[in-house]
Amino acid sequence: MNFYSPAAHILPAVEAQPARLELRDLRKKLGDTAAVNGIDLKVAPGESVVLLGPSGCGKTTTLRMVAGFLQPEGGEIHLDGKLASSASFALPPEKRHLGMVFQTYAVWPHKTVADNVGYGLVVAGKKRAEIDREVAAVLELVQLGDLAKRYPSELSGGQQQRVALARALATKPTLLLLDEPLSNLDASLRQEMRFELRALQKRIGITTLYVTHDQDEALVLADRVVVMNKGRIEQVGTPEQVYRTPASRFVGNFVGTANLLEGTIVTVDRAAGRVSVALDAGDITTARASAGWLATAAPGKRATLLLRPEDIRFDRPEKPDQQTGLDVRFVSAAFLGSRYELQLTAKDTPLRMQSRTPGSFTDGRVRLWFRPDSAWVVA
Amino acid sequence: MGGGMSSATLFTEDPRNVSDSPALLQRLSGIQPVKLLVIGFAIVVLLALIAYPLALLIGYSLIDAQGNLAFDTFEKAFNRRGMWAATVNSTVLVGLVTAGACALGIPLAWIVARTDAPGKILVTLAAGISFVIPSFISVVSWIFLAAPNSGYLNKLAVEYLGFTQAPFNIMSFGGLVFIEIIGVYPLVFFAVSAALHNVDASNEQAARVLGAGRLRTTLTITLPLVRPAILSAIILVMLDALSSFGAPAAIGTMANFSVITTKIYDLLKFPPQFNYAAAVAMPIMVVTAVSLLIQKYAVRAENFRTLTGKASSEQITTLGRWRWLAAGFCIVVVFATAVLPVGALLLLSVLSSFGADITLSNLVTKHYALIFDADFVARGSIINSLLLALATATVCAGLGLVLGWVVERVKFIGREAITFLVMIAYGFPSIAYAVGILMGYVNLFYGTLTLILIAYAGKLLPIAFVLVRNGIQQLSTDLEEAARISGAGWLRSVRDVTFPLVRGAVGVAWVLVFSLSLRELSMSAILSQADTQVMPTVVIQFIEDGAIELAAALSVVIVTVSLSILGLIRFFSRKKTAVVS
Ligand SMILES: Nc1ncnc2c1ncn2[C@@H]1O[C@H](COP(=O)(O)OP(=O)(O)O)[C@@H](O)[C@H]1O
Ligand SMILES: [Mg+2]
Repeated sequence: MNFYSPAAHILPAVEAQPARLELRDLRKKLGDTAAVNGIDLKVAPGESVVLLGPSGCGKTTTLRMVAGFLQPEGGEIHLDGKLASSASFALPPEKRHLGMVFQTYAVWPHKTVADNVGYGLVVAGKKRAEIDREVAAVLELVQLGDLAKRYPSELSGGQQQRVALARALATKPTLLLLDEPLSNLDASLRQEMRFELRALQKRIGITTLYVTHDQDEALVLADRVVVMNKGRIEQVGTPEQVYRTPASRFVGNFVGTANLLEGTIVTVDRAAGRVSVALDAGDITTARASAGWLATAAPGKRATLLLRPEDIRFDRPEKPDQQTGLDVRFVSAAFLGSRYELQLTAKDTPLRMQSRTPGSFTDGRVRLWFRPDSAWVVA
Repeated sequence: MGGGMSSATLFTEDPRNVSDSPALLQRLSGIQPVKLLVIGFAIVVLLALIAYPLALLIGYSLIDAQGNLAFDTFEKAFNRRGMWAATVNSTVLVGLVTAGACALGIPLAWIVARTDAPGKILVTLAAGISFVIPSFISVVSWIFLAAPNSGYLNKLAVEYLGFTQAPFNIMSFGGLVFIEIIGVYPLVFFAVSAALHNVDASNEQAARVLGAGRLRTTLTITLPLVRPAILSAIILVMLDALSSFGAPAAIGTMANFSVITTKIYDLLKFPPQFNYAAAVAMPIMVVTAVSLLIQKYAVRAENFRTLTGKASSEQITTLGRWRWLAAGFCIVVVFATAVLPVGALLLLSVLSSFGADITLSNLVTKHYALIFDADFVARGSIINSLLLALATATVCAGLGLVLGWVVERVKFIGREAITFLVMIAYGFPSIAYAVGILMGYVNLFYGTLTLILIAYAGKLLPIAFVLVRNGIQQLSTDLEEAARISGAGWLRSVRDVTFPLVRGAVGVAWVLVFSLSLRELSMSAILSQADTQVMPTVVIQFIEDGAIELAAALSVVIVTVSLSILGLIRFFSRKKTAVVS
C-alpha cells in the first residue's frame, strides 16, 4: 500500500518554492546560558537535515522552538514561508501540522498501539473507517502491522520507537522532527534503525529535522549536516563536506577522529586551492584549503593540517607529492577485528592511525605516508 | 524572574521557559481562557481554605475581647487557671511519646528488615492495623481492657494471677502516653524499615570488604544512611503528639487533666473566646513551623544520598539464639497493638454491658440495633460522616489534581507559594485550623455540614496534593507534548493524556482522604452542632456518657468502613498499562 503521497500535501510547486522551514537569527536563553545564540537555517521540502553537536549545544532547544513548545527571544521561525514563531508571536504546537518523535518515545501507556497512532487523526475529526485504514497503512509502513492491539508495556524498546514514529507520520505532516530518537536503543538496533529511518525518509520524501550527538548517525541520515557548538552553527554541509573539509578544528574533532599537525606554509597555489606546508613534526606535504583561508595565506605563516586516521599509511605511495615520510614513534596498538588502531607520536604530537596491518617497527620507530590529497587545512 | 512580568506572561507553555520579555502579541497568543479560569479558580479556593483562616487566627491572637489591638492576649491566655499545667502536660506527652515510639519502632524495623526472626510479617500487619485505628477508638478498646477496676485485663490479673490490686490504669496520664505511642509508632516503623530496605547492599558490602565488622558496618554505614528517615519520622511523631486531641480529650475528662489542645477546645465552649483560643494555639503553630523548617533544611540536606536498590539476602542477619527473643518481642507488640485492641473492640460492641462476664449468653446485638435506630443520634452521624467523607474526598482529589498540575506544569511566580500554602495546611494542627475556620466561616455556615466540609477539605488537601503531584511528576512532559504535536489543544491534551495517566494517583488520594475524613475528630468536635454530629464526635460523647458499648459498636462501624474503602487502593494501584518514564 502506498501510504504516503507527499505531493498531495506539499504546496503546488511554484517557481520559488518557499523553504519548508526557515530559521532566522534564532535566539533563546535558558537560565543564564544562551542555549541558542543566533541560528540561520533553511530546510528545503523533502530534505533531511541533521543537527549534530555535543550534549548541551542547544539542539533540543532549537527543535523545541520549531515545535512551538518554546518561544524564541529573538529571530523568527517560518514554516512554508509563513511566520510561526518570533519574540512576539507563537503559533501553538497543535496548529503547526508537524510530526515529532521524542527521545523518550512518549508513547502513551494507556492507549493501544492503534490508538496511539490514530490519535492525531481522531483529533483531526476523521471518520472511524478512514482512521482504521490509515492507521493500518502507517503501521505497515513501520512493520508493526500485527501489534496494533497491544499496549506499549507489551512492546520492546525498538517497537515502542516504531510506534512513536508511526504516530508522528500518521497525520501525514510535511515536516518531521526527531530528537535523538535512537539514543535509548541498544547499539546493534541503533545501527539497524539508522538505515531503516534513512530508507523510509527517502521513500516517503518527508522533510526531516533530526537531532543527534552521534556523528555516525548524522552521516547516515543527513542530506545536510548542521554542526552546532555552544548555541551556534559551526558548519553546514553534506556529510562528505563536514567530514573531509571541516570548517573549524571543532568540526574536525567532533565529526570523526582528527589528527592535527602544525606547520609553516612554504608555497601557496591559489589556483589549485592548495598549499605546501613544512610540518613541525619534520615532513613536508601539500594540503587542500578553503578559498577564504587561501586568500590570506602566505609563505611563512602558520597552518594547522587535519589528517584522518584512515588516510595515514605505512606504504610509500606511487606519487608521494612532496612527502619524505613522517618519522613516528610507537606508543600502543589495539586490534579491532577489521583493523588495527595505533597510537603514535611524531615529535610530541600525538597521532592516531588505522591500518589493515600492525606495521613493522624498528626500535619502535617507523616512517608514515599520507594518502595523496587527503590533508586539509583547518586554520 | 524580572520585575517586568505582567499577569499574562506569568503563564507560559514550558516549565523551562523563563522568558520575561513581554510583547503585546505574545501576550495575546499566550492567553488560554479555560486554562486561566481553572488556575484562577483553584488559587482562589486555596486562599479561602488555607490563607484566610490562618490570617484570622494570627489576627485574633493579637486582639482583646473588644477587638482592640492588644499584645497581652498571650499573657492573659496563659495566666488562666490550669494553662501552665496543660502546657507542661503537652510537653511531657510529646517527649515521652516520641521516645516510646522510637524505642518501639526502630528495633522493630530492624528486626523486620534485617533479621531472620520469625513472625516478621505479622509485625507489619499489626503496625498497619494500629495505624488505621484512630486514638480515640484505641481509648474505647483500652477502657475495656484496662479500666482501673472493671477492665478485663485487670480482672484477669486480680482473679487468676494473684495481684492484690489492679495493675493497669488506662485512665491516667501514663495510659494516655501508652495509647499515643501505640498510635504513632507505625510512623517510625514504616519510615525506618522502608529506608533499611532501600540501602543498597553494595554500600554495606563495600565496608565489609574494607575490613569492618558487622556491628561496625551497621553503626558507621547503615545507621547514617537511614538517619534522615528516622529524623523525619521523629518530627512527624512529635507534631502528631503535640496536636493530638482525641485520646487526651477522652482520657483527660476522666482522669482530670488537660493538655493544650483540650484547653483550646474548652475555650471555644460557650461563650467562645476566640482571641484566647487563637493565642493558645500559637505555640503549637510555632513549634510546627519550626519543625517543618528543620525537616525541610536539615533532613532534606542529608537526604542527598537518595538510596535505591533492594535488600538482598546478604543483608539479613542470622540471630541464632536471639531469634526467639526477637520473636517474643514481635509477638508482644502484635498482641498489644493489634490483636488485643481489635478483639476488645469487637467483643465490647456485642457484650450486653461493660463489666458483664464474657459468656455466650451475654453476647447481644442490641448496641448495633441502637446505632442504626432511626430515632437515635448515631444514625444521623453515620449519614453525616459518609456524606462529608464523600464530599471531602471529591473536593480534595479535584483540587489536588488541578493544583498538582499547575505546580508541575505551569511556570509562574506563584508556583512556590501554592506548594508553601498547601504544606502549611499539612503542618497546621487540626485544632488550631478549626479555630481559624470557625472564625472565618461561622457567620456564613453556622451549624451546617458545609462548615465541617471546608475544614476537612483544607486539612486533608495536602495529602491529595502530594499524591497527585507525585503522579504528575512521574509523567514525562513529552507525553502531553506528543498530544499537542498531534493536534490536540491544551484542554484536550490534559483530558486525553494527563488525566487518564494520573487516574490511579487521584483514586488513591480519594480513598485516603475519604478514610481520613471518617475518623477526623479534633476539627469535628469544634465545628459540629446538634444537627451536624459525625461518628467520631458521637463516639466521644458515648465515652463521656459512659455508654462505652455503644462507643465500641460505632467505632467498629468507622473501622470497617475505613478498611473496606482502603481496600479499593489495590484496585487503583493495579497497573494494566506501562511503566511511565
Ligand atoms: N531549564 C533550564 N535552565 C537552564 N539552562 C538550561 C535548561 N535546560 C537546558 N539548559 C541549558 O541550555 C543549553 C542547551 O540545552 P539543550 O538544547 O537541551 O542541549 P542539547 O539538546 O544540545 O543537548 C545547555 O547548556 C543546558 O545546560
Ligand atoms: Mg538534547
